[in-house]
Amino acid sequence: MATEQPAADQTDDIQREIGHDEYDPIGTLALVFIYFIIVSMLWIFVYFVEFLPRISPMVVF
Amino acid sequence: MAVFADRYPDEAKVVRAALASSFLALLIGGAMGPLQTLHRIDYLRIMPSETYYTVLTLHGVALVILFTIFFLVGFYQWAITDSLDRPSEDIRVTWLWYGLMTAGAAMASIAILGGFTDATDISASVLFTFYAPLEAHWLFYAGLTTFIVGTWVAGADWFRSWWNWKKENKGEKTPLRTFMVLTTMLMWYLATIGVAAAVLLFLLPWSLGIIDSVNPLLTRTLFWYFGHPVVYFWLLPVYMIWYVILPQIAGGRLFSDALARIVFVLFLVLSVPVGIHHQYLDPGIAEGFKFLSASNTMFLLLPSLLTAFTVVASIEHGARQRGGEGYFRWLTALPWRNPAFTGMALAGLMFAAAGFSGMVNAGMNLNYLVHNTMWVPGHFHLTVGTAVALTIMAVTYWFLPRITGNPIFSMRLGLVQVLTWFVGMVLMSNAMHRVGVGGEPRRTADPFYDFEFEGVIGSIGELHLQIGIGAIILTLSLVLFFIHLIFSWFGISATTKITSEAPIRKPLSGKEHAPAVLENFRLWVAIAAVLIVLVYTIPIASIIAEGGLFGPDVSPVRPDHAPLFSLSGLATEWVVAGLAGAVGAIAAIAGVLR
Repeated sequence: MATEQPAADQTDDIQREIGHDEYDPIGTLALVFIYFIIVSMLWIFVYFVEFLPRISPMVVF
Repeated sequence: MAVFADRYPDEAKVVRAALASSFLALLIGGAMGPLQTLHRIDYLRIMPSETYYTVLTLHGVALVILFTIFFLVGFYQWAITDSLDRPSEDIRVTWLWYGLMTAGAAMASIAILGGFTDATDISASVLFTFYAPLEAHWLFYAGLTTFIVGTWVAGADWFRSWWNWKKENKGEKTPLRTFMVLTTMLMWYLATIGVAAAVLLFLLPWSLGIIDSVNPLLTRTLFWYFGHPVVYFWLLPVYMIWYVILPQIAGGRLFSDALARIVFVLFLVLSVPVGIHHQYLDPGIAEGFKFLSASNTMFLLLPSLLTAFTVVASIEHGARQRGGEGYFRWLTALPWRNPAFTGMALAGLMFAAAGFSGMVNAGMNLNYLVHNTMWVPGHFHLTVGTAVALTIMAVTYWFLPRITGNPIFSMRLGLVQVLTWFVGMVLMSNAMHRVGVGGEPRRTADPFYDFEFEGVIGSIGELHLQIGIGAIILTLSLVLFFIHLIFSWFGISATTKITSEAPIRKPLSGKEHAPAVLENFRLWVAIAAVLIVLVYTIPIASIIAEGGLFGPDVSPVRPDHAPLFSLSGLATEWVVAGLAGAVGAIAAIAGVLR
């Protein structure tokens, strides 16, 4: 018959417990900042896609 | 703690049944994907173009109705049972809703499959967006109705569990997972009013010949009243997975229980009064009301951005507990070899990209540029096709041992599977967006007409190649998923049994910090109802005033079919319809008896 084992949850790799007050999510801030820059650049890119072509759905000559 | 399958064997059976139905739908719907992609880009045409619409309908309905919602009910049953730590109130009721959903799914699927043959009048090549003037056989509408009634009973079943739990635990806050289930179902009850009205008052009587005509704009508006919130019905179980399971796998704890609850409440309030943003190009709805829906839609970015912050912060907590340091180096401390983690993280990444293309769809001016182009399918292959589907596949590598007691067949093979899905979708979806910007229309087997589309960067031919390669990689990923699923589910070649599982770790900021008002469901439903009345009353009144309740006389459009094969006999229709009913009845009875 089969042997028994627990379902893996990666809990074995935890090296230290970090509580509510010690934790400061600066890495999350860094990633959110990068996403903000990407989205801002895409909005600038949209200006070139939508408004610069000679014929666009919004500007009818 | 003993594994879920041992603690609640009866409930685990229902969860397994719902997941089996979900994955069967994924197999059928997924198999249609490469057929239509390769047809559209004119690489491989093994069917006549008329059949494309039947294939497209099967792809849409099987994947975004059956695959997603069957998974939802199975997963939510687990969430309710596990988080309240109490069995189903009456397992026969639980089997009843599963039986109803299965019967409905069988009826709708048979109606769609009828489109492949001319031996029967049954067909439903009306696409997932099944509004008039396209008309399906009544079996399709009856099937969808039965399916949705099944989900309503499921919601009632879960509310009943919660009410009984509350009686025994007076003054305690509802566990997070149960809170998420209940808010999702309240949103679903509000959302399905639209589709119930469209089907029961108009489309079903119309397909049965009881009424001669319908008002197409009215059925469109009622469909989209349901058609946008349904995307949150796909998404909210995935949000639960990201909030509850992803931090667990990353070795961390949820950052804030209260933030997670606020997000679900915001979805309950804001999901429904936005559907008109799918109708920016519809004449007959005043611009002001389109603008109102646009601004409501932009508000919906708020819970998604809150989620991005909370989930990433929870993962980062895990990385730091595993020894991660620095602004970015902590990312390397995450369990990237675990397919459940990597699949979900990549799904979340794609969802961030989908957020951007979603903003373009929701913006009134930009929508005019991409409306009815391939941009839109590109967008929802990132949302439902990746954020939802890839998360569901990934979580299976975590979830399956808990409900079957069998270990995962191979984590390495699982990793290859989630990575190939990601790569395939990056290629396919990105190129779909770009051919859309180039003006290529959607919902057509032959998008070329007589003029050349211009790509903004790169040629259309090159983008089609990317779409084709992407579709083939996705198909391979799907095949891998199913091979792996069968081996893991049945424990083929497994030498061990899973007997215990770790309980879900408590959030960093727990439910004791969540404001009590969040549990006031009546308040949130009332606010949602007021918003719906504000956004929808005048547009619907003016649509009826303009075109009449049953419309100007519009003849139904039943798409022509070029059959793949032929069955003989006109009575086939009745035999097939009868069989569908019988299958449904047997499923329901079997469910009740078990």
